[in-house]
Amino acid sequence: MRGVRGMLVVTAGLWLAGCSTPTPGMLAANDPYEPMNRETLKLNGKIDHYFVIPTVGIYFFLVGDSGRRAVHNFLQNISLPTVFVNDLLQGEGRRAAQTLERFTINSSVGLAGFFDPAARHFHVPGHGEDFGQTLAVWGVGEGPYLVAPFLGPQPPRDALGLAVDTAIIDPWNYVPIKQHIWWDAGRYYFTLLDLRGQTYETVQGVQRGSVDYYASLRSLYRQLRNNEIRNGRPDAKDLPDF
Amino acid sequence: MKDSPMPASETSGIPALARRAVLALLVAAASLFAAPALAAPPAEAFVQANVQKGLSILNNHGASTDQKRAQFETFVLGLTDMRRIANFTLGQYRHSASPQDEAAFAAAFQSYAVAVYQSYFAKYSGQTLRVTGSQEHGPGDTIVQTQLIDPNDHSGQQPLEVDFRVLSDGGKFVVIDFSVAGIWLALEERDQFSSFLGQNNGSIPTLISHLKDLAKSYH
Repeated sequence: MRGVRGMLVVTAGLWLAGCSTPTPGMLAANDPYEPMNRETLKLNGKIDHYFVIPTVGIYFFLVGDSGRRAVHNFLQNISLPTVFVNDLLQGEGRRAAQTLERFTINSSVGLAGFFDPAARHFHVPGHGEDFGQTLAVWGVGEGPYLVAPFLGPQPPRDALGLAVDTAIIDPWNYVPIKQHIWWDAGRYYFTLLDLRGQTYETVQGVQRGSVDYYASLRSLYRQLRNNEIRNGRPDAKDLPDF
Repeated sequence: MKDSPMPASETSGIPALARRAVLALLVAAASLFAAPALAAPPAEAFVQANVQKGLSILNNHGASTDQKRAQFETFVLGLTDMRRIANFTLGQYRHSASPQDEAAFAAAFQSYAVAVYQSYFAKYSGQTLRVTGSQEHGPGDTIVQTQLIDPNDHSGQQPLEVDFRVLSDGGKFVVIDFSVAGIWLALEERDQFSSFLGQNNGSIPTLISHLKDLAKSYH
């Protein structure tokens, strides 16, 4: 009971901190909830340190490099139907065809997606898409910067995109799998391990070289996201003058 | 022609004029097609030659760590305009900075930036740089697009996209920023320094002290 009360007090405190009047700097950065976001990032750091990283460590210990690559390939492959739908929603016919080709080749020749012959032998490279990017292509703005517990940076547009992808767009929702909840739980658990394992060194590098890790992460997230939305197309005109 | 209302002297010049116009158009069209056969735009050639040199310095197994660090520092300082990059990363705080703070910050930023660049590019030291094109941001301000090709990677995945922003100041080229996978480093530095200064009453000496500590931590 004390634990629950404690959590409620902390949550209320975070909320109140987030409700303080935003400074001009916060508004300029479109981050009016910065104090709350900073606290959430600290919380995420603790979850990462005490739970996620040790779990990833065990994963790396038990599963060798080729096994982890196979898991990565499988997870990428089962997300391709979602990528395909978002390619179509964005009117990217060529990219949709590429996604379909990759899914067909890797699911068959690639043995249910554990291998990636589409890239390696057929030279059909992969790309990512999600409903957050689709909303951006349709003209929806990012919204104020937000850091979600556990998930990390999730401005409103991207959070909505994630929810729509997970609950509506993902075709696997409509495939009758026995014990669907275990399939979902296993998939998201391994997605977490895979993603965190892949980003570990990069995150370490950013933390090491930053005077303000929160602001670095915010900048990196936005730049990376905008690059994804442009599908990697360079946009020289959008850069600030030196 | 007999019924033409124009004097004969003028009508005889029209075919010649038309021939000259067609010739001029053909020359113009030919020069458009001939352009790719000329040398690559200067900014692209500059990046191709110089950045590969930087990767070779980092890949030199015959040199000690200290030698590589010193050579890379000399190389980076010759390639970039550190003062300009430092001033950019101060963002809005540049206008209220004293000349002494600005100079001290530029020095601290230089040590920090060289250490960070070395740490980033060391991971790719065995790879080959290939220029794939360029875009103009403005006059004398070019974004040169490159890919880093890993000779040991046979996975078929797309090579890493690294872009360089090159200014040509009075005929001399300088690199003022680079991006990896669409993330521009000087933009990220400006964002984090602005945030840091906002949290520390705009104190540039405090930022300088942190940058010096970070630069030391890379050695």
